[in-house]
Amino acid sequence: MIVCVAVVGHQNNPLYLQSFTEADDALKLHHIVHCSLDVIEERVNNPKKSGPTLNETFLGLLYPTENYKVYGYLTNTKVKFILVTTDLEVRDADVRSFFRRFHAAYVDAVSNPFHVPGKKINSKTFAARVSSIVKTFGSGAA
Amino acid sequence: MQATNLPREDCDRSMEEYPEELRTPPISLVSLVGCPEHHSTISKFLHSEQPPINTLALPDFSKISIFSRKLKDPLDAGGHPPGGILKRDWLLKHRTRIPAVAAALFSAEQVTGDPAQWQQVCTDLDNIKVVRGRNMKFVVVLVQKNASDDLSEDHVNALRKRAELDSKHVIVFLQNDATELRQSLKRLAGLFAELCNTYYRDEGRRIKIRMERKNVGHAELIIRYCYKARSFCFSLFVPPFSFECQVAAYAEFRRDWIEALRYYEDAYNTNLEIIGITRRLPAMQRLTEIKAVAEQLHFKLSTLLLQGGKVTEAVAWFQKHVKNYKKLVGAPEVTFLHWEWFSRQYLVFAELLERNAEAIPDSHPSQVASSECCLIEWELQPAYYYGVLTFLTIICSLSDAEYARFVIAEGQRFQDLYEIIALFRRSSESFNSLHALRTAAYGNQRMAREYFSAGDWRNAKQLLEGVADLYRREGWVTLLWEALGYLRECSRNLGSLKDFVHCSIEMAALPIFSDSRLEAPDVKREYGPAGPPTLSQRETIQQEIFSVCKGHISDQSIELIKADDQPLILDIDLVSPLRMAFLTSVTFHNQTIKPGETTYITVSILSQLPHPVEIDQLEIQFNQSNCNFKIVSGEQEFYVVPKPETRDVRIESTPSLIVTNNNWLRMAFEIGSELLALWYTYILHGLGQSGKLECMSVIVMIGRHLTLCCRAESPASLEGLPLWKFENVMENFPTKDPVLSFSGQKYIQVEEPDPLVDLTLSAPSPALVGENFIVPVFVVSKGHAIHSAELKINLVDARGGGMLMSPRDTESFSLDSHHVELLSVSGVNDDSSTSSDDIRKIQQSFGVVSVPFIDIGQAWSCQLTIKWNSPKSIMLYVSLGYVPVPTETNFLRVNVHRSLQIEGKIPFTIAHRFMMPFRREPLLLTKIKASTPADQKMQLPVDETSILIVSARNCSEIPLRLISVSIEPGDNPVAECSCTIMQSGSASTGPVVIVPGEEFKQVFAVIPQVDSPNLDIGEILVKWVRVSDLKQNENSVVITKQFLPRVFVEKPLLVASLDCPAHAVLGVPFSFFVKVQNKTSLLQEIKYSVGDSQSFVFTGPHSNSSFILPKSELVISYKLVPVASGLQNLPSVSLISVRYSTRMDPSLAATAVFVYPADPRFHFGKNSKLLSASGELENLDFKLVQGVSD
Repeated sequence: MIVCVAVVGHQNNPLYLQSFTEADDALKLHHIVHCSLDVIEERVNNPKKSGPTLNETFLGLLYPTENYKVYGYLTNTKVKFILVTTDLEVRDADVRSFFRRFHAAYVDAVSNPFHVPGKKINSKTFAARVSSIVKTFGSGAA
Repeated sequence: MQATNLPREDCDRSMEEYPEELRTPPISLVSLVGCPEHHSTISKFLHSEQPPINTLALPDFSKISIFSRKLKDPLDAGGHPPGGILKRDWLLKHRTRIPAVAAALFSAEQVTGDPAQWQQVCTDLDNIKVVRGRNMKFVVVLVQKNASDDLSEDHVNALRKRAELDSKHVIVFLQNDATELRQSLKRLAGLFAELCNTYYRDEGRRIKIRMERKNVGHAELIIRYCYKARSFCFSLFVPPFSFECQVAAYAEFRRDWIEALRYYEDAYNTNLEIIGITRRLPAMQRLTEIKAVAEQLHFKLSTLLLQGGKVTEAVAWFQKHVKNYKKLVGAPEVTFLHWEWFSRQYLVFAELLERNAEAIPDSHPSQVASSECCLIEWELQPAYYYGVLTFLTIICSLSDAEYARFVIAEGQRFQDLYEIIALFRRSSESFNSLHALRTAAYGNQRMAREYFSAGDWRNAKQLLEGVADLYRREGWVTLLWEALGYLRECSRNLGSLKDFVHCSIEMAALPIFSDSRLEAPDVKREYGPAGPPTLSQRETIQQEIFSVCKGHISDQSIELIKADDQPLILDIDLVSPLRMAFLTSVTFHNQTIKPGETTYITVSILSQLPHPVEIDQLEIQFNQSNCNFKIVSGEQEFYVVPKPETRDVRIESTPSLIVTNNNWLRMAFEIGSELLALWYTYILHGLGQSGKLECMSVIVMIGRHLTLCCRAESPASLEGLPLWKFENVMENFPTKDPVLSFSGQKYIQVEEPDPLVDLTLSAPSPALVGENFIVPVFVVSKGHAIHSAELKINLVDARGGGMLMSPRDTESFSLDSHHVELLSVSGVNDDSSTSSDDIRKIQQSFGVVSVPFIDIGQAWSCQLTIKWNSPKSIMLYVSLGYVPVPTETNFLRVNVHRSLQIEGKIPFTIAHRFMMPFRREPLLLTKIKASTPADQKMQLPVDETSILIVSARNCSEIPLRLISVSIEPGDNPVAECSCTIMQSGSASTGPVVIVPGEEFKQVFAVIPQVDSPNLDIGEILVKWVRVSDLKQNENSVVITKQFLPRVFVEKPLLVASLDCPAHAVLGVPFSFFVKVQNKTSLLQEIKYSVGDSQSFVFTGPHSNSSFILPKSELVISYKLVPVASGLQNLPSVSLISVRYSTRMDPSLAATAVFVYPADPRFHFGKNSKLLSASGELENLDFKLVQGVSD
């Protein structure tokens, strides 16, 4: 189950962060997303280690925490998408598919002429769309 | 874990808790019996072998019985259920008590000695044989003093037989010779190592066979035997334990790592399988036991893998291990035991990783990349495990309820706390070294939370400040909110009101990261003491803090308000987070101001605080304190405490001083009256002629206690709020005028006051070269009295270049090097030049004169006299510097500048021309030669009259009155006597006005008297005045001079002249003479011819030649009768000098004569007489020449 998705701007500032958990651990998810930026930074700065993920937007599994697995995605504009899931077994294809759809949703959201680039995303449509993407995660729907 | 004060050491010890035999690879054990004097030598040598061998030295054979005093081998226990899984000291026993090889040392004397000794040897051997039932290997060592000692083959064989050994197990040890000793030791060590290997392998095999043979009903045994087997490859866990374990241990003893690993894996897996199967112990203990075993097995596995450099496999094993046991929490009462155990797994693994660090990260990137289990690099870093571990430790320690149930004392709680902190610190340090700052900050933040819960506010605060800074920088407001919440409580508990207010205001002004769930109740624990970041929470915080500042003391804050109620001053600079709460912008409406003028200043305040803030007083501070002013709300009677230093600060009032959320509070005030004073201050301090008035800060006073000192910012350089720039909020401008919002500055340039004096320059017309050109200067005071003024005059070339003298020009104007000169300045008070303070310096292009005191309304004027030496266009700069108010210093100076461009023009262009007299033609030798054209000098005949025509054309734009044109001999005194110049015609008729473009001509007769190739005739002087000047000033006559070029004077050879009447009458005959004078002392031959003419008939020779005697004259005469009237040409005469081969033809003009049809009559006025046509031709020459030349 996805517990949290986040959009982080190119200055490493949060643009959108939504948790999907009933427990009151929203703050912890903030911390996890924030910490995962370290991994993204390291990946980006040391592309050698990433090997096959060079020039690829999907960054793969960033790091597993005690309860979660964190996946990352880096767009060309240095906007990061971060996914936190509790699933222990995650299919790579599912995550890729998720990020692809999420990216599409993000592009639509920031293409709104009333959206100022670099500001937080407050669009309700975006939130709804993200929720639906999150709900279908892992169900094989691509 | 006693080291509460030394958390690092505390942690480092976690792995040390494992027994030595578990942490280090097993070491073979050999026992030495007898000959104790050699034990130390042998032990030392064996220990230094690779791999080392430990020795168990027994001084004499009586001690040998300890080997035999052993328990019944559990392997024989058959069907009895085992008492446990692993035996606690099995491994230790095999390391320290049960040797693989027993070596009996006998000295050669004992063997070869008397029967009693032999008997003893036999007894000892028997004893050992009893022990050997344990499969222990046995060696007999014969110690010989040196090789020459006689040790018969019989003796050795006897001994061997007695000991029932192969011959190779009986060796000789030579002790005396050094090389021999070393060889013996090596031999011994080789034998021991071989036997040890055999022993452990046999043991392992034995257990394996037993495993396979026996019923494996007791899974525990399997694990133990696996363990044993691998340890034999080395270690020992005896009683109710699994075979696999033992096999593995034996394998390890044998240093057969791969086999050991395999057996350990088997043991581990079996151990895992027996969970839920075995019923041997009560559940709780059973689980504990299983976990303990798993821990040991896993530790062994990890150690082996890591030492083998197989990091990836080790991590994978660890993940598997964690996955297997994570959920085996066990009974709820002992959850903490599980977490303690579980966290220890992480800690130990992290430490193991750290120890093997050199084998880890970068050395095997390919391994990582190719690994199928998709390991993340981070998982190869110990830091990661520390991080996770700390989390686990918290799970266990924060569950106070569980602890209470187990009567965990407060002290123990403390120990846990410090353990956790130590782990966090270690985790943070590790992450920091990896440049994972955010993760490190998370660790710090959690560490701070531990400190916080322990009441160590100072440490907590220190850590949180660093953490908050990171979140602030990256805009993670929710995390920042949490950190600030803790910080706020720390400050409250530390009694630091300033920090408390600082945190509170910042929190109240923080943007909220919208997440609707945050409003849910009971989230206190998750969000720390500040609660969730919501708008209502922000409002609460703001209300609380401002009520404190206004003196309303609430219960919570009561301890913060000290009795001395010192006002609290917070500085808000450009990087302060409190800019969100109070952002101040100050703009002057103009960029410059002059003393006496007024302008407006707009003070704007923006606040992101959720509630409107009522400001009690604002103070605007400038870099000039006398410009400062205060702003109070008009509706409010604010008491101003009269302090001695606040002399009379201006107080402005404004209708409202309430700042609402995200809305600029704009206030405009007039400013300016103080600026004159400011300006004076600047000047008196010698800071220059103008100054900058800059707004430094805006001081916001809220209540009696809180003063915020905000740095004023210019709208032009106003930076957005770092945290709010990501928010979708309305942006509005600090000023009403949008232009000012983008370009407004918080400073204004104070300039010098405008001069209230008129300075006028007027030039009547273009200046003419040579004249004294007058430029009047008028100074009229129009509001400023003029004190100690001076006038500076500067002449500058209008085309640039500054100086009116170029290097190139200096050559041609070497005498008067300046094209334009300032001659004098004449003022009304010319006579006062004697006064001491009068300045009068005049140079060619620069002048300074002092100007007398001029009162308001009065005027003064002076005249500049400028002379042009060559036609130049110049700029005349005149500046008047004066002091409007008499002061002691001279700094307060006002300057007026004027400039005027003046063209310098040439008045007359003077030209001249030499001619010969009419119908007279001297033959000059130089003309005949027609020498080099470069020498274009005019040639004049000596003692002959030459005609000089001088023309002066007015080339200026104004009419000029020409007074005279004359030729002066110039400076050369010789010229006077060498040449006679006469002005021909009548005397001058007085000044003539020459309009622009008109030309005036004057004729001179020049008679050179000296035969000179380079005769200076003199210079032309043209005297003129401007038409307007004539009546006013006779001195204004200007003389324009021009030198005549030098001439070549020589004696003529021949002079030919025509002589005929001025006019003729039709049909009336007249004489025509051609005269040729021979001026030389040579006989000259002349050929002449006369052509026919249709107008005349004549008598005389058509062509002839004749000789002329020296200094005599030839006259050829003709008689002509005109046959046509009008201007007719005489018959053309051609003269050829034979000697010079030169033709001397008179010009066509010279042969023209007018033929009247009848005899004319002329009337010349009253006194005139009739001039007959035939009269006085000579006197008319000049006039005719003039007429002809026109």
